[in-house]
Amino acid sequence: MIELVSESRCIQCDKCVKVCPTNVFDAVPEGAPVIGRQEDCQTCFLCEAYCPADALFVDAHAHEHVVVTEEEILEKNLFGAYRRNLGWAKGGSPIENLKQLHALRQLVGSPF
Amino acid sequence: MSRLDQDGLELEADVLVVGGGPAAAWAAIAAAERGAKVVVADKGFLGASGAFAASTSGNKVLPPVALLRDPVKFERYALGGFLAQHKWWDRLLEITYDRAPRIWEWGGYEIPVYDRSGSYRGLQGSETMRILRKTLLQKGVKILDQSPALELLVDEEGSVAGARGLERQADQPWTVRAGATILANGGVAWLSKALGCNTNTGDGALMAVEAGCELSGMEFSAHYSPAPAHTSVTKSAFYRYASYYDKDGSEIEGLNRNGHRSTSAIAKELLKGPVYCILDKDMEREESRTMLRLMQPNFFAPFDKIGVDPFVQPWEITLLLEGTVRGTGGIRIADDECGTTVRGLYAAGDAASRELNCGGFTGGAGPNMTWAIGSGNIAGRAAADFARGLGRSHAARNARGAGSVGLEAVRPTETAWDAAAIVKGVQDEVFPYDKNIFRSEKTLLDSLAKLEDLWKTIQGTPLQNTAQHLIRSREAAGLVATARWSYFAGLQRTETRGMHKRLDFPQIDPSQRHYLAVGGLDKLWTRPVPVAEDVIQIPEEKAQLQLA
Repeated sequence: MIELVSESRCIQCDKCVKVCPTNVFDAVPEGAPVIGRQEDCQTCFLCEAYCPADALFVDAHAHEHVVVTEEEILEKNLFGAYRRNLGWAKGGSPIENLKQLHALRQLVGSPF
Repeated sequence: MSRLDQDGLELEADVLVVGGGPAAAWAAIAAAERGAKVVVADKGFLGASGAFAASTSGNKVLPPVALLRDPVKFERYALGGFLAQHKWWDRLLEITYDRAPRIWEWGGYEIPVYDRSGSYRGLQGSETMRILRKTLLQKGVKILDQSPALELLVDEEGSVAGARGLERQADQPWTVRAGATILANGGVAWLSKALGCNTNTGDGALMAVEAGCELSGMEFSAHYSPAPAHTSVTKSAFYRYASYYDKDGSEIEGLNRNGHRSTSAIAKELLKGPVYCILDKDMEREESRTMLRLMQPNFFAPFDKIGVDPFVQPWEITLLLEGTVRGTGGIRIADDECGTTVRGLYAAGDAASRELNCGGFTGGAGPNMTWAIGSGNIAGRAAADFARGLGRSHAARNARGAGSVGLEAVRPTETAWDAAAIVKGVQDEVFPYDKNIFRSEKTLLDSLAKLEDLWKTIQGTPLQNTAQHLIRSREAAGLVATARWSYFAGLQRTETRGMHKRLDFPQIDPSQRHYLAVGGLDKLWTRPVPVAEDVIQIPEEKAQLQLA
């Protein structure tokens, strides 16, 4: 579930509030959004994918709250990791990922 | 007085599309291209809502060559209990061939090279939905995000005349009066947190039945997918590379025969104790591992976060219920235009029954996406034409909200009922493998009795101090209603066909090769609907493949 909105990284664009399919965030005037309904988080990671500041962390545990700290997420380089893997981060490209995938399929064979 | 009766946003449209996934987006695009004024209302955000945005899905873009298209039609024909129709497949493949490549064009991409099977690895769901959203806005479609539809509007002749719901962040009602309405708001996974499925709470089915529609294939609602324990990520394709172990580290043979994963075999093991996996079959090469990472970044997200290397270290698995999202039940399509049994109402994507191309077997990994694109385009065009036929006067129709349970007190109670307790009550009946995967008359009757009690409770006064309360109450009602239809249809289908497994009727019964329409609110009913196509003989070599 969503566990962290980094106030230091957040640029207050409220994009997460807008895109969350299950409406877990609440916008705060002149502040970083807060997690208003954590239990509604479906752990789809799309807020991370949309966050332009890599300020969010969704833990893999979907059914129970776990404690995470900003320091450990930073240390493990997990802020924005999913966004990078989708090719949505700066310098990334979904189509380049697909081309690389296509080349690998030619090389090792198409699994399905 | 319901929160829905307060003053709010009022819009008129030729076509209203309810939903925010690929079927909704395609329906809206198709209607807009036909000249219709289109409004889309989605519970979440069109772009992030639904099972596909969080996921990936293979896509078959096949030239009109029998050699390429036939295997798709036959692949799951027997598995689906011979309920799919080749004539529907032909239409869907034709539309997908024509329409799906537009995504690349709209996204500003070169159309990729197709492999020999004519398929390509499509863009990720999130990227596809981003492009579709951009395209909708360019075509002048009005999108209401964070605006769940809660009930349909029905005119004096019984035709659907739009819908109304709540803008949940602004906490105000919205009403869209429309000449035609398309329900493309997904299936139901009973809030299991299967990947991207929690927006799918059976809203479409409940709204449709209240407006006079019937459903079909609700007995094919027992689809589960493996996920790493405690996570949401129900991406099942890579489990073909898995070895399975029990808690003592002994390999469990037979869970992965010929690369074909058997959910019920995994469920049987999980009923005995924990099951662990390692992705170590044919995965020695680093290139193979990189290939999988590029194919499904979402599959690896939980492992990266937890710090487990799934190719090397064992990890515990669970099965999460995906219900009708990757099962096939939904609103019954009553004509060739994705129309329902009610005038002015169309259904597309997972909100509709996908028996027409998937039969009783899962449409996951491809067929569902073909259905979403195909049914979205068919419904969008038909709805635009229907609305044009009505003319602008449609907005003057006298229409009332058709919704009831979960929106208002059918039988007022002193205290409001607790939506969270109702949700838990339904989940206790639909989540357990020994109730939903392995069904018998006894398990179905037991569950139906409990669901009946829940149904009675929710006739009472719903909590609606805020928009969020009312939405939760209505979702709870959708969950109870769809569970009742699923198990009631399951009780009537006294055979094992597709994903519907009856321990007391373990064989397929040729005399039950029909669809099962189901409907009713307080009193449920079913009736057989003939399959409008004789069984097609599976070519010899493909029959061998299916038996293997």
